[in-house]
Amino acid sequence: MTSLGSSSSSATEYTVRVPKNTSKKYNIMAFNAGDRVNCSTWTQARMERDMSGRRIYGEEETAEGAAGSEFGKKQREEARRKKFGIVTREFKVEDQPWILKVNGKAGKRFKGLKKGGVTENASYYIFTQCPDGAFEAFPVHGWYNFTPQAKHRTLTAEEAEEEWGRRNKVVNHFSIMLQRRLREQEHGEVEEDEAEKSGKKKKRGGRGGDLCIHDLEDDLGMSSDDSDSSMGDDGDNKPKVKKNTGKGAKKKKPKSSDKEALEDSDDGDYEGLEVDYMSDESSSDEEPEKGKPNKGEQLPKGIDEASESEEESEEEKQNDAEEKEEEEEEEGKKTPVQVEKKKKKDSSGESDTSDDSDIEGETASALFMGHVNQKKRTPPKRGGRGSAGSSRTGSRPGTPSIDAASTSNTLRAAASKLEQGKRQIQGPGTDSPAAKRLKMEPSSQSPVPSGKSTPQPPSGKSTPSSSDVQLTEEAVRRYLIRKPMTTKDLLKKFQTKRTGLSSEQTVNVLAQILKRLNPERKNINDKMHFYLTE
Amino acid sequence: MSQNTELNLTGVKQSQGVWLVKVPKYLSQQWDNAAEKGEVGKITIGKKQGKTEVHFSLDAELSALGAAEEKDGSFHVPRDHPFTVQTVGGQTLAVFSQSSTDEIRLEGMVVYRAECRPVVNDNYMKLKKLQIKESTKPQRISQQLERAVTSVFKPVANHDFNMEYEKKKKTEGKMVRAERQVVLDMLFSAFEKHQYYNIKDLVDITRQPVTYLKEIMREIGTYNSKGTHKSTWELKPEYRHYHSAEEEERESA
Repeated sequence: MTSLGSSSSSATEYTVRVPKNTSKKYNIMAFNAGDRVNCSTWTQARMERDMSGRRIYGEEETAEGAAGSEFGKKQREEARRKKFGIVTREFKVEDQPWILKVNGKAGKRFKGLKKGGVTENASYYIFTQCPDGAFEAFPVHGWYNFTPQAKHRTLTAEEAEEEWGRRNKVVNHFSIMLQRRLREQEHGEVEEDEAEKSGKKKKRGGRGGDLCIHDLEDDLGMSSDDSDSSMGDDGDNKPKVKKNTGKGAKKKKPKSSDKEALEDSDDGDYEGLEVDYMSDESSSDEEPEKGKPNKGEQLPKGIDEASESEEESEEEKQNDAEEKEEEEEEEGKKTPVQVEKKKKKDSSGESDTSDDSDIEGETASALFMGHVNQKKRTPPKRGGRGSAGSSRTGSRPGTPSIDAASTSNTLRAAASKLEQGKRQIQGPGTDSPAAKRLKMEPSSQSPVPSGKSTPQPPSGKSTPSSSDVQLTEEAVRRYLIRKPMTTKDLLKKFQTKRTGLSSEQTVNVLAQILKRLNPERKNINDKMHFYLTE
Repeated sequence: MSQNTELNLTGVKQSQGVWLVKVPKYLSQQWDNAAEKGEVGKITIGKKQGKTEVHFSLDAELSALGAAEEKDGSFHVPRDHPFTVQTVGGQTLAVFSQSSTDEIRLEGMVVYRAECRPVVNDNYMKLKKLQIKESTKPQRISQQLERAVTSVFKPVANHDFNMEYEKKKKTEGKMVRAERQVVLDMLFSAFEKHQYYNIKDLVDITRQPVTYLKEIMREIGTYNSKGTHKSTWELKPEYRHYHSAEEEERESA
């Protein structure tokens, strides 16, 4: 080592050697600064090539020889590929990424991707100092950038997009992964979840998320945000509770989003629709309040009962129409859907009279327009309805416990009330609906008194003359002579909707008739059939 | 295949620091031409006015060697190369080596990064000029031919090819029907090698006329008109007993 003698500088000279025996290939392992990797802390490490790319590059190896192989398959495949110009890149092991596992199973994992273009224009050398003071230079063969691999679960691209859409609403971010885990678990273990759910139901109390009997969630005053944050609070306590609340909240969320979808209606949506007439009457304020408790009782009742208490439902509809007109909240939006449902059910039941269809049409349009005019506040039916409301005080049911009157009776009665209301406050401009109304009036006048009467004795020939089938001895006799029938068949013949009797009454009456007739019995297909011979 | 090799961490444990030096291509080429001993030059590390300076000077022989190969010969490979030294700066760079025995060793950590810079003088400029000339030459060039190519006309069918074909046909002659049993033996041995065969390939193998062969095949085999092996013949189930490939492997292992 020679040293230069100047006082301000001191230099030491070393020889540089480039060893020729290149049995070892040197590579660079580069880590990101932010990862704070300290190699001296590694106790043990394993490294291997990541061969997962082989599947993509290499073709599926079909069975060679004997079973499943074809003669000359390879050549044909190659010829085919050449014809189409498909160039398959070779799978080079040298270029595959590395997988580095530090400190065993529980330690970190890194993936090392080869950086291209390192050795193209300049060469890198590793200078190490030997014990004899000389430097040895080794060329760098490849450069690999090592990045740590996440062990925690991440969202896929689709899920990430979804969450991005909800970023303004979701407050509790911990729940996102939780729900994802729950979703996955649901696919696998449904029973376990249910068991847990039933066990933990009490804890969740008034959540009502899982067993949703009615859609009055909004009445409970919980928006998705609230549910999330409250769920977050709960979730901190116990993982199990968290899981179930997560489920509940998750089930809630789609519901609330459904509701949100229903809410959307731009101003211009309903502009082109026809309306009956415009009236400037403002609605009475008492209606919505009364309507609300009615609705609350109405909903849990279920749709089946609606067929029995149609009068009430008709009036409920009127209430609802008003409600809609009044409130611009989600409840109002919900009821038209529900009421529409009921309405459809009712209308499907009664297909006989034109009156019914008229009423259907009218009330349907009324409902619709009631919904429409919520924003405009000039509903055509409102005038009629409002007055109907005022005039209806006597007949308005405070509770849904109207006794089961004959269905067609009630419908006609309701229609008549409508007419009365409209007649009293007749707005300007009578067009076809008015004509319809007029037509209805005379026909509805006759049932009016009958509508107000108490339910008639089942066996008498009741005034609803429109129904074809009467539950009389004559009718039963006719049927039984014609062919043997079971009691079920007979009941089917005398449908409650047609005869105007309730099912209980029908059964009683039929039993009486059969006693009187005393038909002969025969067992066909293990079922008791009755028949009569003339 | 990939081996999960244990990383030899001795280099790191000794905390031996290495330098990562970026060297220009021409210099590394010279280094490759170095003598057996491997000495390529000298490096001087000095402190000048408080700053560390590293300087590399190429061996004279190597410098001259480079020049002799060139056409001009009027320059030599630059000798003096100062190193610009920088610290690694946050990023962790480690060096691992792969030996021919597939052993992976972690050699050490990089403590300094350096760039070997040439001194920009006339000599260097000449070198660069040469390099540029080399790189701008197009890889494909058009040459002018002295004589026009007369060997390729436009035949309807290739004369040579035709003649070849006819000759082949004459020598081989028509395919004669061999004994049925002989043909069957040939077929069975063929089907032992592969499961599916095209009729053309079978004709090739057995040298039998097509109709005769088809007759025999109809007897012992079935024709696949659909599926992955589209228009191929295979033996009837009762005639074959293929093991699956796995079983064969297990048997052989």
